[in-house]
Amino acid sequence: MGIQIDALKCIACMACELACGYHRDDAFALLSSCIVPYRGREKKNYVGVILKEEDSLVAARPEGVEINRIGEEQDPEKEADASAKPMLLRESCDLCDDVDEGPLCITFCPTGAISMA
Amino acid sequence: MGIFWLKISEIKTQIRSNRASQQPKKMESRGQETEFRIPKIGIYTGKGASHSWLWFVEIFERLGFYNLCFLTEFDLVSDSLEKVDVLAVSGGDTFAIAEALGPQGARQLKTFITRGGLYLGSCAGAYLPLNSSKEHLNHFNFVPAKITNLTKTLPEAHGMREKFCTCYGCSFIFHAVREAVEVTTSGLPPFGESATFTAPLYGGPPMTVTNPASVMATYTAFTDKTLFLVDRKLAENTLLGNAAVIREKMGHGHLHLYGPHFEHPHFSKANLFLADAMMWDMPHQTAQTANPEDGMNILSGSEKQRFIRDFKRELSNSRIVAAGLEMLPLKWTIGSKVYETGKIRVFLEALWQRIRSFEKERLILVRADQNDLLVQTALHVTKSIRQIKKGWDQKADTLKTATLLFNLLNKTSALFLEIYFRSKLFHTDSAEVGARCIVPLLRRPGQFGKIEYEGSYGQIKKMVA
Amino acid sequence: MEYLASDKIAIVDLNTGDITEDELDEDLVLDKIGGAGITKHLYDQHAADNPIVLGTGLLTGTLVPGSSLGIMTAKSPSTGKVSHVPLNLDAGIELKYSGFDYIVIKGSADKPVYLWIHDGILDINDAGDLWGKDTWAATDHIRDEMGDDLIQVLSIGQAGEKASDLAQIGINYWQSADRSGFGKLCGEKNLKLIAIRGMGLLEISEPEAFVEDCAELIAAIRSNNTTQKQGIAAVSTALGEEDLGDWLAPLTHRHMACFNTPVATNTFIFTDEDPALLEETTVTEPGFLLTDIFPLVALKKAGLSAKDAGLVLKACAKYGIDGAAVAELSAKSGLTSPEEIEKTFPDLKGPVESAGKSVFSPWAAVGQGINADWERQQAVAYILGLHPIWYQMATELTEEKLLDLAGLGTEMEFTRETLDEVIGDILA
Repeated sequence: MGIQIDALKCIACMACELACGYHRDDAFALLSSCIVPYRGREKKNYVGVILKEEDSLVAARPEGVEINRIGEEQDPEKEADASAKPMLLRESCDLCDDVDEGPLCITFCPTGAISMA
Repeated sequence: MGIFWLKISEIKTQIRSNRASQQPKKMESRGQETEFRIPKIGIYTGKGASHSWLWFVEIFERLGFYNLCFLTEFDLVSDSLEKVDVLAVSGGDTFAIAEALGPQGARQLKTFITRGGLYLGSCAGAYLPLNSSKEHLNHFNFVPAKITNLTKTLPEAHGMREKFCTCYGCSFIFHAVREAVEVTTSGLPPFGESATFTAPLYGGPPMTVTNPASVMATYTAFTDKTLFLVDRKLAENTLLGNAAVIREKMGHGHLHLYGPHFEHPHFSKANLFLADAMMWDMPHQTAQTANPEDGMNILSGSEKQRFIRDFKRELSNSRIVAAGLEMLPLKWTIGSKVYETGKIRVFLEALWQRIRSFEKERLILVRADQNDLLVQTALHVTKSIRQIKKGWDQKADTLKTATLLFNLLNKTSALFLEIYFRSKLFHTDSAEVGARCIVPLLRRPGQFGKIEYEGSYGQIKKMVA
Repeated sequence: MEYLASDKIAIVDLNTGDITEDELDEDLVLDKIGGAGITKHLYDQHAADNPIVLGTGLLTGTLVPGSSLGIMTAKSPSTGKVSHVPLNLDAGIELKYSGFDYIVIKGSADKPVYLWIHDGILDINDAGDLWGKDTWAATDHIRDEMGDDLIQVLSIGQAGEKASDLAQIGINYWQSADRSGFGKLCGEKNLKLIAIRGMGLLEISEPEAFVEDCAELIAAIRSNNTTQKQGIAAVSTALGEEDLGDWLAPLTHRHMACFNTPVATNTFIFTDEDPALLEETTVTEPGFLLTDIFPLVALKKAGLSAKDAGLVLKACAKYGIDGAAVAELSAKSGLTSPEEIEKTFPDLKGPVESAGKSVFSPWAAVGQGINADWERQQAVAYILGLHPIWYQMATELTEEKLLDLAGLGTEMEFTRETLDEVIGDILA
């Protein structure tokens, strides 16, 4: 059981990032979130979603989902190499286990891009 | 607003008279009356130190132990250890630390301990004083313990290959597991009862000793967070039942060597144990320290605001780039340590989280032109981080810049924290701080009683055994 | 101001380079609520210095659906009216988290400058290297220099530098909702751009109740199928404007929402790449983000292809000129080729039909046009920080509900009477 992300449905609204940040900090902030829509390629409009899980880093790209085990080296040419432990300071996803309604990112995603597997 | 019109000399007189009116607390300890005071703690931040010394800072601040100083290899080689009660050496590159301290540093350290000082070594700091014939380490040889993770034939790595082993002459030191492991304290004097809790292991030593009374805590089990870097059976054989923490007497002083990072801020029971042990074995003779304000420039009003704004500007600039770098798969091997981009933020967040309270201090105490130096160093940090981002964008090599950057981060952090704690100490009523950490010395030997710490971040609360 | 705010107002004097800071007084918030209520108040306080006031709504940056809005308030150099321009996409939220609630920019600099607003620090920096650059080059330059791709940049292009009445202040690479000529105002102040980046935190007075209400709202919004309409064409149709769907479909790459806005009111079209491409393109500038319905409608009616319309609007964004004005005036001249239209930019002059009809940007007057109901809706959106187009679609976001949320978030009580009064002040 875990979070599933369909990057093609994502409209990069960042509701998931804010909701997760709220879950971490009990305030509205973005630095602690473990789910982050990737917005760095603005002119190219290339958008994906990164999720930090306990053992792995999920990169939901438009062309498909990539899952890398944190701490294990992948292709050195590729981005999001989990051996470099990206998002080091962020907690890994706990599926909002203390929230009755379940993961807040799913609650607040307007398009259903995020769901439970 | 009227306070700003008080003369600095009036403020200093007021603080001094507060201190004079407070007699040192006299407490029952070990069946004797003894004076109680806040320890002066030196934290090693020089060559070979990584970022984990910041964890020592965090827990000491929570305990109210504001009398901190930050020592480089140059300080250790000179006479700086005469002024501290405790020296804390955390994680990093043991060989780099040993080389940087050299024979002179080793001699100073030996003198410090034999005169009554307490050495706290965690992870790399734990390896440093262990008996060894290897170059640079052979200047130390203070503790006749053996490590159980030394091998001539490297086992198969199951993950994190770049962090799994370190060369040790013709042999290797391998790291069987990482992350949280379970430890159990021995229950031997001075700590009366045994307790089991978790602490994180990031390459520190599992040890064996000839004298069982030296063992303060043992590795007893793995947790569901433990990451295995070797076969589980090998990990069990290497760790379980062996010493996680040892206590060794040397002259009038002691060494406490911690394999796991008992100073990691997320492990409060381990923090409390470390603090307890430290308070027990720290020297009871006062290490003479000057009043924090002696020889200092005192910044107030607009001068203080300008300084803080200039520093905060660069810290913010650095932090913004670092937050973006955090997502990138960059890492560097500097010496024998692997550094990830996220470690940049570890330093910056440690400073950023303290800026707000720093801004609220009435006065800031700086030595000579420390304020200008801090701002300049922070500016260099910003430039270096931006260079790394540019290097990434242009697919250029960033190792040289990263090496410089981590050096600068250590320097900037140590410099800021020196000013921060000096100013904090100046503003703190020593009696109030003393009251917070008074409790451990009320225990009789062999009895763990109720212990309460109230730290300024509120995360160390109670430990009841 | 303890909750949902950074508790800081900055007053920037471009004449002298002085920056002073004040706290955000709770009494001011009780009186004027937030957003355009307070930016208008601050404008009036400093009116003699012809200020530009930046701010955000009371609920901007929270989990209230659509809480994306920043506001820029100033006297329009083209109409002479005190007007409010909505700052959407991710600019509003960045401003909210920047460490400042409101920023008053007074006077003029004697040489080109830019503002760098970050984590409660406001710097006035030299813009000598930036002056003369188009908005894309200026945005790239700032992000490159500062080392971060997420910095939000409000910039003027050559239109603003040359004091064109139709000059627009853009958001990053895209057209904004500025129809008030604020680009010209910035140019007159020698203010090339405002760069914003913040990693702040907003405390909430009653976090659980607040977030629970937000969760109920988004659930209602999803169940009412409002979120089925995604993209600029769908929004245009939903609000009773021209059907752009078939015209844009062959170029549509992705629909993009403003911050926390459940309906994507923007669509990215690829003019120089296969829009069906899923991997990251190797083309540096494959297309354009469409953010404004009106120029699209005008250009479509003028007979341009969607690709040509995209190229025209991209040129407008780079030059920093109002695309809606360009579309309207080009249609009047009968021009249809992007190159010909671009050549008219330096000398293009109004009047433009919708100019000055409201203190709020007509960018959001989709479908119903400008009337009293629309103006009230806009006022509420600008005060509380909601996306002005989305707010028209979100029937779930009643004024009562929004005032409740404002109370839960801030521990203050906001009444309908106060809201009416603030709206009255803004529209006066």
